[in-house]
Amino acid sequence: MRALAYAWQEAVASLARARWTLLLSIATIAVAFAMLGAFRVVSGTVERVAGGWSEAAEVSVYLDDVVTEAEQAAIRQVIDRSGLAAGVTPVSKEQALARFGAEFPELGDVTASLDANPFPASFEVRLSEAGMAGADALAASLAAMPGVADVRFDRQWLSRLIAVITALRTAGWLAALALVLGAATTVVAVVRLSFEARRDEIGIMALVGAPVAFIRGPFVVEGAIQGALGALAALGGLALLGRALSRALGPLAAALGSDAIRPLLWTDIAGLLAGGALVGAAAGLLATWKWDPQGPLAR
Amino acid sequence: MIELHNVTKVYGTDVTALDRLSFAVEKGEFVFLTGPSGAGKSTLLRLLLRQEVPTEGTLTVGGRELATLSTREVQAYRRSLGVVFQDFKLIPTKTVFDNVAFVMRVLGVPVEQQRRRTYQVLKGVGLQHRALAYPPELSGGEQQRIAIARALVNEPQVVLADEPTGNLDPDLSLEIMDVFRDINAAGTTVLVATHDRALIAHVGRRVLHLESTRGARADA
Repeated sequence: MRALAYAWQEAVASLARARWTLLLSIATIAVAFAMLGAFRVVSGTVERVAGGWSEAAEVSVYLDDVVTEAEQAAIRQVIDRSGLAAGVTPVSKEQALARFGAEFPELGDVTASLDANPFPASFEVRLSEAGMAGADALAASLAAMPGVADVRFDRQWLSRLIAVITALRTAGWLAALALVLGAATTVVAVVRLSFEARRDEIGIMALVGAPVAFIRGPFVVEGAIQGALGALAALGGLALLGRALSRALGPLAAALGSDAIRPLLWTDIAGLLAGGALVGAAAGLLATWKWDPQGPLAR
Repeated sequence: MIELHNVTKVYGTDVTALDRLSFAVEKGEFVFLTGPSGAGKSTLLRLLLRQEVPTEGTLTVGGRELATLSTREVQAYRRSLGVVFQDFKLIPTKTVFDNVAFVMRVLGVPVEQQRRRTYQVLKGVGLQHRALAYPPELSGGEQQRIAIARALVNEPQVVLADEPTGNLDPDLSLEIMDVFRDINAAGTTVLVATHDRALIAHVGRRVLHLESTRGARADA
């Protein structure tokens, strides 16, 4: 406790003496942690949207025009017994035509000019959350049944999208990690500068018997303060950016769903602050790691 | 209090700074360590400060063999010493008060006690009125007296001084020696490395004369 109080006082005094290098260090950390925080928001938002789309995924079973009632009943029975469906909506040929007319009224003339209704009857199978895993097998078995013209499962493009998102997320985390390592290197350099500037003083402290915690402690705390201030600046920047983006991207957010954009949670904020302090403290420790308290004075 | 038995210090493979040096300093003694440049005075003080360890032989202070101390024990041992350097080694960014009180601060001595003891030792060296000054604002003699105050603040059993008057004029040197004599009179063991024969004659205590790598010889 005594060492911590001393380290805190000395670190604050040292940082006050080196304001410009402190600002450089904070700016570097802020950029790295802002990227990390922004990535967390984007990643969370994409996960949320993709999750919503996954929940909305459905299997569409298109029926032959000549399907019998017995075949329809058998198809329905396979769907119900699969246990994968959260809901099934039978759509007749007439309902399909009406839906098309409602969605594309400008094409009304085209459909009116046709001799026969070209739209097939179908079953729209909304999958349960657990049903996503077995949906491929269900689609395959339905496709083989008499009376079935085609089966479409829109999970395939969703799977590809999720694969792309996963790859981007991995790349993003790696980029953020590289930035954080870069920021840590800056903190090491700044703390090292501070250490070198006080080398004689440190040598004297070692000679009069100051415990190692009293000698290294201020530099570790100095790094931690830089890290925490950098993370705090990053959070401030993210808040401003978030406000500007929410205005600019309002329509997109509305299209994705009112709660689609995932804000930074308190756990994220605490994590960024603690992460900044930890990275800074580790950098401070690293900056003084090679120093030997038993070595000759001022060597 | 201080015992050296066949202490040898070799740098690299062939530079022998001390060769089978043996002597003892009793508790409460005042001893001068003298000898020509290169005789090993500084090496011996580095060994006593545990900045280095002997290549051979044993060195014990207060019953502790210095070579076997861990990092933590080395720092604790150094806190039990009072050390005065030729170039003072005061921290320029701390006030006189903070320079002197520092050792007590790291030991967790209550603030009021730190204040009282610091003013007491500053008064002892006649510089209580400069407590809030910074070292660069003081003369060489004043800085050395502050360094002595720092060495004494923790009431050490042993005070080591490395050419403590090397940067001072003769009158100030005698004054500083009187301070050391007073410290010794209070029961503290004092070991002063110097090549100033006038000072040795002024104080008139036992002299250990180091001759180049040949070991110590007691002259008085």
